Amino acid sequence: MVVRQYQEEIKYLEKITETCWRIKKGFQPNMKVEGVFYVNNSLERLMFDELKNSCRPGAVGGFLPGMKQIANVAALPGIVWRSVGLPDVHSGYGFAIGNMAAFDMNDPKSIVSPGGVGFDINCGVRLLRTNLFEEDVLPVKEQLAQSMFDHIPVGVGSKGIIPMNARDLEEALEMGMDWSLREGYIWAEDKEHCEEYGRMLNADSSKVSTRAKKRGLPQLGTLGAGNHYAEIQVVDEIYDKWAACKMGIEEKGQICVMIHSGSRGFGHQVATDALVQMEKAMKRDNIETNDRQLACAHIKSQEGQDYLKAMAAAANFAWVNRSSMTFLSRQAFAKQFQQSPDDLDMHVIYDVSHNIAKIEEHMVEGKQKTLLVHRKGSTRAFPPHHPLIPVDYQLTGQPVLIGGTMGTCSYVLTGTEQAMKETFGSTCHGAGRALSRAKSRRNLDYTDVLEKLERQGISIRVASPKLVMEEAPESYKNVTDVVNTCHAAGISRKCIKLRPIAVIKG
Amino acid sequence: MYLNIAKLKCLKMSTMFKRRLQALGYLEWKKVNINDPQHFRKVVLWLEDQKIRQYDIQDRKDLRNIKSEYWPKAFAKYCMDVQCPIFDNDVDQLEWLIGCAIWLETDNDIENNQFQEGVYSVAKLLRIPQHPNHLVTLKACSKLVQRRLNSECLRNPNSKIVRGKPFPIMNCDPGFQLKKTAVENAAKILALLYIQDIRNLQTKINEVIVRVQNITANPKTDTKLGKVGK
Repeated sequence: MVVRQYQEEIKYLEKITETCWRIKKGFQPNMKVEGVFYVNNSLERLMFDELKNSCRPGAVGGFLPGMKQIANVAALPGIVWRSVGLPDVHSGYGFAIGNMAAFDMNDPKSIVSPGGVGFDINCGVRLLRTNLFEEDVLPVKEQLAQSMFDHIPVGVGSKGIIPMNARDLEEALEMGMDWSLREGYIWAEDKEHCEEYGRMLNADSSKVSTRAKKRGLPQLGTLGAGNHYAEIQVVDEIYDKWAACKMGIEEKGQICVMIHSGSRGFGHQVATDALVQMEKAMKRDNIETNDRQLACAHIKSQEGQDYLKAMAAAANFAWVNRSSMTFLSRQAFAKQFQQSPDDLDMHVIYDVSHNIAKIEEHMVEGKQKTLLVHRKGSTRAFPPHHPLIPVDYQLTGQPVLIGGTMGTCSYVLTGTEQAMKETFGSTCHGAGRALSRAKSRRNLDYTDVLEKLERQGISIRVASPKLVMEEAPESYKNVTDVVNTCHAAGISRKCIKLRPIAVIKG
Repeated sequence: MYLNIAKLKCLKMSTMFKRRLQALGYLEWKKVNINDPQHFRKVVLWLEDQKIRQYDIQDRKDLRNIKSEYWPKAFAKYCMDVQCPIFDNDVDQLEWLIGCAIWLETDNDIENNQFQEGVYSVAKLLRIPQHPNHLVTLKACSKLVQRRLNSECLRNPNSKIVRGKPFPIMNCDPGFQLKKTAVENAAKILALLYIQDIRNLQTKINEVIVRVQNITANPKTDTKLGKVGK
């Protein structure tokens, strides 16, 4: 990393619009393109404070500041146009979380990087609607939360209640949600309302290590730990009546279920395995990066292809996982209300992936290009009429599901043409950390966190209460700031605001 | 399941035959049972005598001999002579012959004024706007009748009426901008029609998935396997 004074550093930064900053070439070595990041005033302060702290003498260890990471990504071979930081950007392994970047598939130098996808491959959010209202649920809220908790095992080392053997797993890895459909865990319409129709066709389970499969097998149908959760939420605000209507959300007070989870230990192992392989490939192919954590391989190389196939299998794992939890949530509701999930109208509104790399077509400086788009902590936000979004959302644009943190609001946004022009059809994914996990543990007391939730009338079921302060709202950027910035920048539009009344967490 | 579908198809066919024979003016259309060889042969002969007239009258005697064991042979030759493209299924052959008769019957008439006026008066009745080409209007009438005025629909209108709130597409940002309002409106309408096509396709796909699920689905849970982590 170039060591400069803060005053020197900020010369490379330029505010280009009310919500967007440019990172000029030279901020980090070898930048092939510029970087940009989206912020409002309060998020801007967080970003610049982070940079300032890293410039202090003796500041070592931990991740690089988000801006530096965005710039390092801009120095990767084959990157196209710009490296984009979304408003929830925060430091991560190699790529910042909330950073997206696209690489030209037709440039032989282009790379794929597991750090640009993240360890929790195809971590994502799914939203189910119901025809219930807050007053139907409040009297039985505790029972319902308990029932969800009983159906969906949570926490580190949890095991699912859907019986799976090794062969089932192999099939699920290849088939994604088609496996869940075949086995009858989900509805045909669920597939329709899922990014990629819930299946990446290039998945190849033979490219996945035995270790990953062993870790993954018992974990299907479990939430996991960290920031993952299942929440019962209430529609708190409707900003775009017509778009909400298309999603089956008619009125304030309507009950939804949000599931935020990913590929568990399986994806983590796939990423870890790939990083080892790629370090070797980098030496062989003389690929240079600014940061060791940005391990990568040429897309067309054996390692690059193997990773993409294994990543697709992990993505399929995550979809099967969210589908299994959809099935279990529907069961929990059906039991509580003595009505079938069908009668409760428990349709999937949408399912987004916010840690994934996909091949997409985009217009770059007037030319159509085939790109490998990395979205890490970033959600696809395709505009109305895009051929890859479900027919039901052709007029509204793709629903973008933004999960809040424990106890805060979540949002549904819609994709826009502006996002296509500025951010390769991408927007934010959630709140984004403001404090590291370790710092949160030091600064907050878990009993305070739990009490505060109780005061807000939020039921909580949690596997490891002592870790809840890591996920407390205080540890995160304000999700409303993040969403408002995306709305103001025009890279997605606010549609619905949801507030939690019950949280199930790892 | 397969048998039921075959049976259903048969039933549908026979009502369709009846309707089309009625349109052609076959007096006993109500009583026709095409599975009865005598009925079948009588219909074929009537079609040739009254509508198709492939042969001169004296050359129809083999067809007229409907009790003869050689009748099938005469029928096969007849089908060849009228250039029926179907060889292996006599019900399908009959269907083709009826179609042929209808075509002969209407071909001469569809351009005359009386027919045109007829189409427009039907359209008016159905509240369908008139297209300068009356055949386009006729197509629209036919679509409406098939979709909304079939017997199932008349018995249970709610099953076919599209519900949900109308989307104010004309007042919403369509996501594209064209210079002329009229062109943009036309583009919006085309987009809507396209979306409807895709919706119908997606619904059919879903129906297929559900049918397959009827055979393959067997979801299981076992709470003994569950384990809450730390």
